[in-house]
Amino acid sequence: MGNIQSISYFLPELMVIATVVVALIADLVYSDRNSYKVGYLVIAGLVVASFTLWLSLPEETTPIFLNTIVVDPFSRIFKFVFLLATFIVVLMSMNSDELKGVRTGEYYTLMAAMVLGMSLMASSVDLIMVYLSIEIVSIISFILAGYLRAQVRSNEAALKYVIYGAFSSGLMLYGLSLLYGLTGTTKLFQLSGSISSLGPGSNLTLTVSTILMLAGFGYKVAIVPFHFWTPDVYEGAPTPVTAYLSVAPKAAGFALLIRFFNTLFGTGQPLNSPVWQAMEGVPWQDILMVLAAVTMTVGNLVAIQQKNIKRLLAYSSIAHAGYILMGVPVLSQEGVYAIVFYIIVYLFMQLGAFSLAIVVSNRYGTEIIEEYSGIGWKSPYLGFFMAVFMFSLTGIPPTAGFIGKMYLFAALINGGSQFYWLAIIGVLNSVISLYYYMRVVKVMYFQGGREKDLYVPGGMSAAIVLAMAIPSIYFGVRWSFLADWVNSSLKFFIAGF
Amino acid sequence: MDIVTLIIICVKALVVFAAIMLTVMAMTLAERRISAFMQNRLGPNRVGPKGLLQPLADGIKFLMKEDVIPSGVDKPIFLLAPVMLIVPALMTFAIIPFGSELHLFGRAIQLQVADINIGVLYILALTSVGVYGIVLAGWSSNSKYPLLGGLRSSAQLISYELAMGLAIVSIILLAGSLRLNDIIIQQQGHFLSWNVFKQPLAFLIFVVAVYAETNRLPFDLTEAEQELVGGYHTEYSSIKFAMFYMAEYANMITASALTVTLFLGGWDIPLMNEAALGNLGVLLSVVSFVIKTALFLFIFIWVRWTFPRFRYDQLMRLGWKVMLPLALVNIFLTAGYLTLTV
Amino acid sequence: MTGSFFFYFFAAVTLTSALLVVLNRNAVYSAVLLVFCFFSLAVIFLLLEAYFLAILEILIYAGAIMVLFLFVIMLLSLGREKAQEHFRYLQRGLSLFLVIVFFLSVLIIFLSDSGILHQPHGTFTAGGVNALGEALFTKYLLPFEVASLLLLVALIGTVYLAKRKV
Repeated sequence: MGNIQSISYFLPELMVIATVVVALIADLVYSDRNSYKVGYLVIAGLVVASFTLWLSLPEETTPIFLNTIVVDPFSRIFKFVFLLATFIVVLMSMNSDELKGVRTGEYYTLMAAMVLGMSLMASSVDLIMVYLSIEIVSIISFILAGYLRAQVRSNEAALKYVIYGAFSSGLMLYGLSLLYGLTGTTKLFQLSGSISSLGPGSNLTLTVSTILMLAGFGYKVAIVPFHFWTPDVYEGAPTPVTAYLSVAPKAAGFALLIRFFNTLFGTGQPLNSPVWQAMEGVPWQDILMVLAAVTMTVGNLVAIQQKNIKRLLAYSSIAHAGYILMGVPVLSQEGVYAIVFYIIVYLFMQLGAFSLAIVVSNRYGTEIIEEYSGIGWKSPYLGFFMAVFMFSLTGIPPTAGFIGKMYLFAALINGGSQFYWLAIIGVLNSVISLYYYMRVVKVMYFQGGREKDLYVPGGMSAAIVLAMAIPSIYFGVRWSFLADWVNSSLKFFIAGF
Repeated sequence: MDIVTLIIICVKALVVFAAIMLTVMAMTLAERRISAFMQNRLGPNRVGPKGLLQPLADGIKFLMKEDVIPSGVDKPIFLLAPVMLIVPALMTFAIIPFGSELHLFGRAIQLQVADINIGVLYILALTSVGVYGIVLAGWSSNSKYPLLGGLRSSAQLISYELAMGLAIVSIILLAGSLRLNDIIIQQQGHFLSWNVFKQPLAFLIFVVAVYAETNRLPFDLTEAEQELVGGYHTEYSSIKFAMFYMAEYANMITASALTVTLFLGGWDIPLMNEAALGNLGVLLSVVSFVIKTALFLFIFIWVRWTFPRFRYDQLMRLGWKVMLPLALVNIFLTAGYLTLTV
Repeated sequence: MTGSFFFYFFAAVTLTSALLVVLNRNAVYSAVLLVFCFFSLAVIFLLLEAYFLAILEILIYAGAIMVLFLFVIMLLSLGREKAQEHFRYLQRGLSLFLVIVFFLSVLIIFLSDSGILHQPHGTFTAGGVNALGEALFTKYLLPFEVASLLLLVALIGTVYLAKRKV
């Protein structure tokens, strides 16, 4: 579709761009003290964008802007995820004490811009767009991670992030250029056509290129061995940013990963056909399976040793990336379904845990797990919901996390016997994660003394915690609504052009 | 490419090279005489009639002096730096047309060493490369003042290159081409069709940026004598020192010629059809080019002995907060005008 | 004949200087050699009649980016830093391995039928300026605009992180 006609399909993104521009200009007008008000503008803009996205036809699948990006149900559901995550994180940030002392106008502006980058990541079908959208998301992540300029650890986080980021995007570019050299096109669909017509002689180049591209994607979703930045960045960044980074860009990375590998190396079946064929010759499925196994194991084993709640959640988010990654090489509708379902559920429980950590840090001034002692009795509200999030993250019924994991394992088992070993490792890892998640609950309820006056968080922070906790439980009991929605969204643009 | 064309190109290159070198010599004298005149002194007037042979005497002196290479310097780069400064300065002139088309023995000869269809970009590329000589000279000298001079110059050049490039963009918009010949043709005809009248703002920005790019007063912070002794060339002596000066003057000449080409119609003489006069017209066009260039060279000297130096923060503020936005506004206006009228 | 002579000459210069960039321990030397590399690369572009690309190579890489690199190197005075000794063998072995793998994969591209090298290239007129401009504003309009957004956010971030008072 031509450039002009495409605009009507691009409305939600245009709303986001308008939000960025308005927020940027408004930030100039507001004084330093009032610059947090930009946050309200951004919230309003995100609401408008969600509304336009909701109005867009859910069944529409079409390539736009001369086949650089596509509009399809698959990208639509991810755009909702990004908008929701950003919306929640903006609210969290407005209630975080960490960000009280600094000027936050740019902060909210950049978050709005990040939504655009992630939406493009979820809908790119052109290597150039893939690269550009990843870079937008990365650069904003660097800045947000280093947003507390006065703090050394925030600076350190940003610097480490930049260095790893530059390195991995360099590797990815090299991989993309090999792919381009092999086929002479940057369009994903033409690429998949050319690749299937290549002889087996090209397998080495394809494999090298796949590994290099995985470095770029893997860096965004923090899979081992491209995860080294994660703990330091997650610890040093302001907590709302950590929450954001551990959810939204990861979801975007997976959206890209799924579309990219399914289009490139699957042999062109539509997403809702039950059985797919993997391309012969490039062992990308094996690579992904090994990476998934290593990622969750490393994430969980290191998470056990963590004493800081942010670091704990950081490493556990690596483990979750590993779980989600299990669904990619299965190459079936079930696998993708499980991934999308899990990502949505994960959004609620992870953001909930982080928002709780913010409330605790605002009130008790600590991020150390040992110092959470007695919180379960001092503040039953916090204690109860933290327990809910921890159960859900572990995957204990009746929470949403359990349903998400169940779907993932089911997809693996149904995928064939070559995935059994991965499923076993996944289950073992869930058991490991039980240990450290439950430790938090144990410290809160079985250690430390009680206090007379109970602390009940009020206002927005309590509301956010509640808003995250309800889906975490509700989807564990009745998930058919979510399941239907995810199921109907499993369609991406597939026909060549 | 036949052998005659090759010879013609070589001859043109040689002529241009010789002309620049002669002008450099003349400039060293002119600068001193004119500054003396402005300060009510006499200036060098002993060597030859009216001091005309002074540049020659200076040249011999530079050659005969001992070439001192300080012990702490980074030798390869120290030796390379003057060359890296002077080469781009001379190369830029290669694409400047200095006269209309000459017809000789049935051949049409462009009075221009190379007619590149992206000439303007070529100029921008070479000016941006010129900074290496200064930066490397400053660094390799292993001494405080040259290093400061080098750092200053790299920051300064990058800041002003942007404004200069953007000023040229509005000229490109008018001409619809990146070829310098096309830009000259577009300015032919009346006086008022010169770009200096069509684009006064761009002209102003360009000229200021050119002064900054050539490190001349009021932008000579890279060699500010009172602060940095001599700036990037403090540690140089003998002929290498002379090369820095040659590069500076060569840069001035190129910059003046470029200003003439972009804004004053190049070799064109207003209200006159040179082509009708045959080779006489060609001669006249060369003369017109030389006169216009000489005018700008004079202004270079005039400005030097008139304005005081900027402070460094003033320089940066002028570059980024005044010139750059102005240049952008100018492009915007020009583009708007062209869209509405053409 | 002269064309291929120039090509081989400048290809050799490019490769040698690129190799020396990596092997040199002095950061300033590496930077200068990289500039040489860009220049000879630009000449190769010229030989292919891609004038615009050649000039951009010099204007952007040699003229702007490397000047900033040099600026930073000089400010940090990294001039004569010695390489770390600990990882030397591991580093050399690993880089040798990677170089071989990458070389092989590039070689395969050269040999493959559908590779970029076997496709008819578009003709450059006017040094490619017109073609490039047209492509940017039609075929690659969205990437072009998105790139501007990318630069905008980078700019916002840099200004925020670098300005003196919060």
